[in-house]
Amino acid sequence: MTDPTLIRNFSIIAHIDHGKSTLADRVLQLTHTIEDRDMVEQVLDSMDIERERGITIKAQAVRVLYTADDGVEYTLNLIDTPGHVDFTYEVSRSLQACEGALLVVDSTQGVEAQTVANALMAMNAHLEIIPLINKIDLPSADVERVRHEIEEALAIPAGDAVLASGKTGIGVKDALEAVIKHVPHPVGDPAAPLKALIFDSFFDAYRGVVALIRVVDGRIAKGMRVRLMAGGTDTDVEEVGVRRPVHVPVDELGVGEVGYLVTGLKDPSLVKVGDTVTLARHGAHEPLPGYRDVKPMVYTGLFPIDGDQYPELRDALDKLRLNDPAIIYEPESSHALGFGFRCGFLGLLHMEIVKERLEREFDLDLLATAPSVEYHVHKTNGEMVQVHSPQDMPDPGTVDRIEEPYLKVTVLVPPEFVGAIMELTELHRSTFVNMQYLSATTVEMHYEMPLSELIMDFFDQLKSRTRGYASLDYEVMDYRPSALVKLDVLLAGKPVDALSFIVHKDKAFARGKMLTEKLRGIIPRQMFEVPIQAAIGGKIIARETVRAMRKDVIAKCYGGDISRKRKLLEKQKKGKKRMKQVGTIEVPQEAFMAILKVDEG
Amino acid sequence: MPAGGAAPAPSSGLAALAAEAAGAAPTPVSLYVHVPFCLSKCAYCDFYSEPGKPDRYSRFVDAALFEAGHWSHYDLLDDVPTMYIGGGTPTVLGTELVRLVRGLRETARLRPDAEITVETNPETTDADLIAQLVEAAVNRFSLGVQSFDDAVLATLGRCHGAARTEAALEVLRASGVPFSIDLICGVPGQSFESWDATLERAVGCGARHVSVYPLTVEDGTPLAAAIADGHQAAPDPDVAADMMLAAEVALAAVGMPRYEVANYAQPGHEARHNLVYWTGGAYLGVGPHAASMLPYAEFQRVAEAEGWKLDAEVAGTPARARFTREVSLEDYLRRPLAQPEPLEVLTAQEVMREDVMLGLRLSRGVAVEMVEAAGLGETLASLAERELVSIAEDEDGAARWRTTQRGWLLGNQVFGAVWAGE
Repeated sequence: MTDPTLIRNFSIIAHIDHGKSTLADRVLQLTHTIEDRDMVEQVLDSMDIERERGITIKAQAVRVLYTADDGVEYTLNLIDTPGHVDFTYEVSRSLQACEGALLVVDSTQGVEAQTVANALMAMNAHLEIIPLINKIDLPSADVERVRHEIEEALAIPAGDAVLASGKTGIGVKDALEAVIKHVPHPVGDPAAPLKALIFDSFFDAYRGVVALIRVVDGRIAKGMRVRLMAGGTDTDVEEVGVRRPVHVPVDELGVGEVGYLVTGLKDPSLVKVGDTVTLARHGAHEPLPGYRDVKPMVYTGLFPIDGDQYPELRDALDKLRLNDPAIIYEPESSHALGFGFRCGFLGLLHMEIVKERLEREFDLDLLATAPSVEYHVHKTNGEMVQVHSPQDMPDPGTVDRIEEPYLKVTVLVPPEFVGAIMELTELHRSTFVNMQYLSATTVEMHYEMPLSELIMDFFDQLKSRTRGYASLDYEVMDYRPSALVKLDVLLAGKPVDALSFIVHKDKAFARGKMLTEKLRGIIPRQMFEVPIQAAIGGKIIARETVRAMRKDVIAKCYGGDISRKRKLLEKQKKGKKRMKQVGTIEVPQEAFMAILKVDEG
Repeated sequence: MPAGGAAPAPSSGLAALAAEAAGAAPTPVSLYVHVPFCLSKCAYCDFYSEPGKPDRYSRFVDAALFEAGHWSHYDLLDDVPTMYIGGGTPTVLGTELVRLVRGLRETARLRPDAEITVETNPETTDADLIAQLVEAAVNRFSLGVQSFDDAVLATLGRCHGAARTEAALEVLRASGVPFSIDLICGVPGQSFESWDATLERAVGCGARHVSVYPLTVEDGTPLAAAIADGHQAAPDPDVAADMMLAAEVALAAVGMPRYEVANYAQPGHEARHNLVYWTGGAYLGVGPHAASMLPYAEFQRVAEAEGWKLDAEVAGTPARARFTREVSLEDYLRRPLAQPEPLEVLTAQEVMREDVMLGLRLSRGVAVEMVEAAGLGETLASLAERELVSIAEDEDGAARWRTTQRGWLLGNQVFGAVWAGE
């Protein structure tokens, strides 16, 4: 057990891309936790997707030993958090495990929406915040401006901000000294019953569910019988240890310590992020505050392109869920696409990542339908149904009203783009709440917006209309009634259920028209004419036609061409395999996402 | 028209003599020579050729003759039914081309009635050279006309105008040797009036064989780049379809019916060399980027003697080998006998499917028995449902699968399904 006064638990928080993971790499090197020769970039991002995309999806914790300028060796627990808004809840739990945070701000970008959101979260968690201005080696670095922004926008004194570069390693030692000096050591009652916070978990094929924990009170050791308070699950501690970052078992973890817990459980849904671990007998009465069930925000249908892969998809989802309990799924069947799953995700990025992991790690070819949100449909008989898929929308005659989730949206943007944001948000059924200048160069704008509008290409549009300057943060607010209708799409006269979507009645006509136009460009010419229609109820509101293909022939085919041309045919064939056969029509995957790219703008 | 070919030179192969003595006929193998030179690259061309480089002509002819001689040592050129000199533009070689043709005739044992074709372009169709080639037993020319419209020629990046084409045609007509012309349709900016005028000129120019290709934009060509960056419109497949139909009608009207997807001829003037490609016959390609195809046993005999490393995996009994030397001109000049690369080995099953696929490119189609033997009966039945192929009896009452009018334009649907066996 480590003396709590020599422990510092801290996290690094930042807007996405501000250099958090690289900075973490340098800390590991400086403290010889990882020797230079073993160093790969973004050590803590262990998934391929994390490294490739340069993002952190899972929280990580690593223990480093650092001998400070005062000659004392300290135990630092660095908790790396996901940077994307989809994973806000995970970030908030990780912060609960710390006493301090290094707030990283890119000196070339300044304060952005998630800088603010994360800093506020850290303040709410009563963390000591140490501002760190990063990437100061870049020619476009503007340290003074950023210092000013931090003070203005966040009311955090930045006069002593650490100036650093994760790339070159400048300032990393200063950052650690600041952590030791300013971050309070953990305080807890070693004699009280065990209370430990689960801030992440993952599945190990050999050992079952492993939780990352922070001990608040008491101690935890191998062999103890413990209880996970949210679900009332009891289990025996198979092992506890610390991550350096390889797992090193220890006899016990005491007050303030961060480490891993091998739970011996095989079902990851029993081990919930934010839950409290206590003793099975004579345990704590009250869990640590702040636990909540993570609820999916967006839903999509995932279908195997090759219908025979349905069992593989089911197995893959079962396996993936071991590592990512935030995914939920239930079987869904579609006339057009056959059997698949309706899946719920934390957000669009989460959805993309899961789809990519399923395809990559399980060798599946998947088709995703346009994402939708959870609608609350109040029927005339007083019943309320939760609808995750346009297909499940009850008959309009039985519906009293439909409510949809609304968000509190915060946009940070330079003042010259305020007009562009106003225009864009108006197209997305948003209500302006207020705006304020954080500094001369940053305006914070607040809106209320339906979640269904946010997932309609809003983020890409926001970026393109502000040349990448705007940043976005949001949180779920409430459900509100909206005049919503289901819009159906017919190909060659037959409704294709997987293309249906729910839309505000005032937008239905325009979106239907644009979608059919878009689909005309996406659906390749077939050997026969294909009418594309959009309809509400039985009423056709838009129509386009894909003309029949008349010519598709490789005319030149002589000696040397034969192999080449045959390969071309094979490629053409493969391209077709990537398409979904809907009746007699070959429909490319992107058709099912086309609605997202339909925007009046 | 002069006699098809002089007496063939004797083969050097003892094995061939032994085989002949034993009464076994040598394998007929057609010969193709790829001349990798031209005056300038056309915008759409993705064949291997080096513009300019006249200082390499003579060395190339030496290397090609050396390579052909090497094949003849394996008795593979003892019964050559057709020979085709293509490119590039073979006639840029000038008198070196005459040396090449003569040399090949000494090296290979051509049949007395062998078809010997030389490809040429308007700018290099010189009366004197053509006369010398005819003298050297060339009995067919193929002229790259492409269009009789200067604007279309400019879009294609051709280095000649229609006037030069007319002069070349005059030379060919005067030579008395039958010739073919190539035309391209579906060129961006090409009007139907322009195409009709080109067809009209084509049917009256004395050609007994016409090839009509819809423009294909090949990756990596200047044309593809111009389309990608918006300087050039992309070809419209509907326009190309109408132009192909117009060509079929215009050529049939003057007694040149279609006999292959892109080829039309007076009966008896079909390109025999190309028919070898389309009917699964053996051929050897000489020169860089020339393709060869041999029965696998013949290929294996050569490969073993040459010590070639063969690591191609074949799922089944190997039946045919197709191979190319995809090397630059300079590499070819240094090592004309290097191991061919890439190599493709086809199984008996694949051979049957490929033969059906190629057979359906021909108007005469494929015998029902051949389709059944290849296990493609169901595939063709399903193509027939979509009116892409149909079954009919020929003059002898034998049932054959043939490509329909609709199938000619949507050929990839047919060929793709046949090759995939679906």
